[in-house]
Amino acid sequence: MESQTDNMAILERTISAPASIGVVGMLRTLIGRWWVAFALSSVCVVSGHLMIKAGLNAVPKLVEASLAARILHVLTQPEVLIGLLVYLFGTACWMIAVSQKEISFLYPLSSVNYVLVVVASAMLFAEAIPVRRAAGVLLIVAGMFLLNRKSRSLA
Amino acid sequence: MNAKLMIWLSVILSAVAQLLLKQGLNQVRGRNGAGSSPMALIFAVATQVWVWLWGACFVFATALWLLGLQKLDLSYAYPLLSVGYILVNVLSAIFFNERVDRMRWIAVAVISVGVVLIAGS
Repeated sequence: MESQTDNMAILERTISAPASIGVVGMLRTLIGRWWVAFALSSVCVVSGHLMIKAGLNAVPKLVEASLAARILHVLTQPEVLIGLLVYLFGTACWMIAVSQKEISFLYPLSSVNYVLVVVASAMLFAEAIPVRRAAGVLLIVAGMFLLNRKSRSLA
Repeated sequence: MNAKLMIWLSVILSAVAQLLLKQGLNQVRGRNGAGSSPMALIFAVATQVWVWLWGACFVFATALWLLGLQKLDLSYAYPLLSVGYILVNVLSAIFFNERVDRMRWIAVAVISVGVVLIAGS
């Protein structure tokens, strides 16, 4: 995808800047490419939501409790908390991706998240996917591709 | 409160939160020129009422999401987040007078049909 000269330029920047030597520097250089930031955001947003759901499935439901008590109860579930953090990190990666590439290009691509979450829910949590739900997801994906056609000049 | 109602409220609150943040940042940009220092900008953002409202909406939306999702399928709740695209387009056309062209209204209609299908699934 990247040309050879781009790779060389990135390599040179990594080597010449003292602050970016080492693993941290390599990561910083990597996340500076829109597709790395975008892929990372998708992976984290999707896996974050899956972890949250896994945590919620594992925690016993409080029946006779106040709203606040029930919220605290689910938030003390480690999987839920870690899932939330992973999701927030994914959102940060999304913002990095958006700062490198037009949002009108990235929005339709991000609809892959809906497909991934639905497929993973069926596989991991044995959720049944009715035809209506699958059709709805496909329409949403189509709609997101339409959303940013011919709107590029509008902010 | 019914779990489906919680998920719907959460999704609507998230969309409203985005508009509140946009309103807050618009005002910050209006009052602070390009020459403002980063510290002044951070201070301006952190002391904005709209930004605080955004934070409150965000916290409420997350709490409602967690409680609702406890009882519902993730494959049902997650795609409903796309209601945000519908609301942001409609509300920013109304409140920010942003131009929404025909293609975008068609897209909003297609997404709406998708959401209705999922809601009935």
